[in-house]
Amino acid sequence: MTDTPRRLLVGPFNRVEGDLEIRLEVEDGRVRAAFANSPLFRGFERMLLGKDPRDAMTITPRICGICSISQSAAAAGALAALTGASPAPQGALAAAILHGVENLADHVTHFNLFFMPDFARPAYAGRDWHETAVDRFTAAQGSAVREAVEARAKLFHIVGLLGGKWPHTLAFQPAGVTRAPTERDRQRIRMSLAGFRRYLERVVFGAPVEAFAELATRDALMAWTAGDAGLFLRIAHDLELGKLGRGPGRYLSYGAYPLAEGRAMKPGIWADGQHRPLDTAAITEDLTHAWMLGKSAHPARGVTDPDVEMAEPAYSWCKAPRLGGRTMEVGALARAVVDGHPLALELGASGGGVLARIAGRLLEIARTQILLERWADALRPGEPFMADTPPIRDGAGEGLVEAARGALGHWIRVEGGRIAGYQIVAPTTWNFSPRDANGTPGPLEAALEGVKVAPGEDTPIAVQHVVRSFDPCMVCTVH
Amino acid sequence: MKPRETFYDVMRRQGITRRSFMKYCSLTASALGLGPAFVPKIAHAMETKPRTPVIWLHGLECTCCSESFIRSAHPLVKDVVLSMISLDYDDTLMAAAGHAAERALEETIEQYKGNYILAVEGNPPLNEDGMFCISGGKPFVEKLRYAAKDAKAIISWGACASYGCVQAAYPNPTQATPVHKVISDKPIIKVPGCPPIAEVMTGVITYMLTFDRLPELDRQGRPAMFYGQRIHDKCYRRPHFDAGQFVEAWDDENARKGYCLYKMGCKGPTTYNACSTIRWNEGVSFPIQSGHGCIGCSEDGFWDQGSFYDRVTDLTQFGVESNADKIGMTAAAGVGGAVALHAAVSALKAAQRKTQNDVSEEA
Repeated sequence: MTDTPRRLLVGPFNRVEGDLEIRLEVEDGRVRAAFANSPLFRGFERMLLGKDPRDAMTITPRICGICSISQSAAAAGALAALTGASPAPQGALAAAILHGVENLADHVTHFNLFFMPDFARPAYAGRDWHETAVDRFTAAQGSAVREAVEARAKLFHIVGLLGGKWPHTLAFQPAGVTRAPTERDRQRIRMSLAGFRRYLERVVFGAPVEAFAELATRDALMAWTAGDAGLFLRIAHDLELGKLGRGPGRYLSYGAYPLAEGRAMKPGIWADGQHRPLDTAAITEDLTHAWMLGKSAHPARGVTDPDVEMAEPAYSWCKAPRLGGRTMEVGALARAVVDGHPLALELGASGGGVLARIAGRLLEIARTQILLERWADALRPGEPFMADTPPIRDGAGEGLVEAARGALGHWIRVEGGRIAGYQIVAPTTWNFSPRDANGTPGPLEAALEGVKVAPGEDTPIAVQHVVRSFDPCMVCTVH
Repeated sequence: MKPRETFYDVMRRQGITRRSFMKYCSLTASALGLGPAFVPKIAHAMETKPRTPVIWLHGLECTCCSESFIRSAHPLVKDVVLSMISLDYDDTLMAAAGHAAERALEETIEQYKGNYILAVEGNPPLNEDGMFCISGGKPFVEKLRYAAKDAKAIISWGACASYGCVQAAYPNPTQATPVHKVISDKPIIKVPGCPPIAEVMTGVITYMLTFDRLPELDRQGRPAMFYGQRIHDKCYRRPHFDAGQFVEAWDDENARKGYCLYKMGCKGPTTYNACSTIRWNEGVSFPIQSGHGCIGCSEDGFWDQGSFYDRVTDLTQFGVESNADKIGMTAAAGVGGAVALHAAVSALKAAQRKTQNDVSEEA
């Protein structure tokens, strides 16, 4: 049975944000080719046309209920570029805190609610870690799941204080944030962060976050046994997750958290064994395998015109972004690689994979906690949190941020005071893109090639590990 | 066939103590605005009634409702409600994937025919035969109809399921359509907001699970206990509105003093929701408290009412107030000073009376 090629349709996928279907061609017990389809399309880029440019800051966050702050920040960034607004330094700091909290919470959610529950499956019964995994991570019931949900809710008090509500926070503006925190707010933010540190150190890492953030080699990482991170690494070692789901080995990051003194994590790319500066002019969105009409174009000139015929050879609503014609992997791992973190470099240089992606995320959890504490200390309640906002003018702007899942870009064009063009390239658009004009598969599709499929498996578990290791956000992918 | 489990059985199985259970009952009573006399009634209902299963479906959406829900204030309430729900079918959080998940849905429907509550997050897009939201190889609208057929009642979570939300914004490329326009033969409760407040969501679902009926609804099908008042009515900045003290620019001196955000485009005067009382993220704050106006996300059509930063000028568009546009006109004309403001306040009061009259006339 394993000799004859067969086709598998995997999906709808659970425990990913949004809808996803993957078609697999399986031969000799391995995936020969994979085709990722984002089956959900809403058309945000079309709705924005003709609207007041400022409304992008309210509409685009509603693309996604889990990374809405990233969308707000990108929209505010695009408007700042358009109008020439320069955020007040303290406003940028408050925005970084808001964004950092969301990214941190997203990583913790992914680890506990979306990724780890797969190891509690009966398929792994008999492994020496299985009972612990069942106890900790059974979907929606495991002890770790509850702890994470509770810790996360408390962490989000910070977004409440600075941004009013989450999801769909409104405080972001091109020139800063709408709320100037008081000294009392600052103390409460520090208390919330202290509480989250206790959760991370007791549950996730079982040790000071600094110790995890400072891990510099793969060997040191694999020797980590404490906390749920230790449990994951034990599982990763046993299942050889280091070899599973290798990516293109090319990484892109816009650089996270724009502050007055520069971005807290460096922007750039890592390709062909070296760091290079990022040139966003080299980005194109290829439409050959997307149900979209029009030509491949840079997002500043791109259009979104769905092909209602859904004509072949297209198989997804997702466009295929490429940098200089090549696929790029984005995400926490990519950010740390581009930023030059030694552990990430070692893990990422060889093509990454499931272990590298999850480790990259754990690493970022530790590093973000430290950054947030530093930023909270640097808040100066008396200073301005919003600079003067120049009026909207005709022209174009590019807003680049790093969402939890990777590089997020907004490109706006304004004519006659109204939005004349708006294009969004989300992290999962990069990672889960379909094939391009050369037939080159997207990073996920390529990562799935060669993955084992056991006879009789109709939703191969290894495929699920690979898919979830990217932490896809399908609602952002096609918007 | 063995008798169906009660809620109490389920909670005990989840490791919730008797003491915590009683605490849950009293919390529920207070959250729903019921007196202490209701506590034993709730407890009795939970101990004796078979558990009502919940099926939670996701259509065209952003999952913000789920995100809000799992962050509700009291860990105990959230624990209980979440464990009750996760027992059945929820495609974001559940363990099963792919075909196993689809089977779980079929089995739940089959087993609890006519007895389950269907919670819908997001909505079906109807354009091009529903192909813009394909779930399990079929348009979501088919899955929705299938799951709705044997449901006892339907909860429309959030602005998407209730009204369409931003994805239905002009030109509504996918023809995103609210649930009640597709399903017409079932009781539907709308819990609008983008997203709704977590405590409102748990409150509604707890009420339905506990009392086995819908809470009292307003004429738009929303639970009256949470959507009976405007944000403006209970806004802590309201005295500044009445005193004519407004924020004129972001983070100006007036903003620091916490003045009213009306001139910054706040839609609080036309929005019915509980943000200014229950607040967000475990009662920490709400948008107006963060210095940004309300965008009216729990009102029908909020996404196509002109800019979110324009002042409220024509309130009739919302279908809520019949003559309150006078406030906007008066204030927007920039007359300024106490006279105009007094007129505005009177107009608001008049609007309230008018609305009440409308209700009684319709009833």
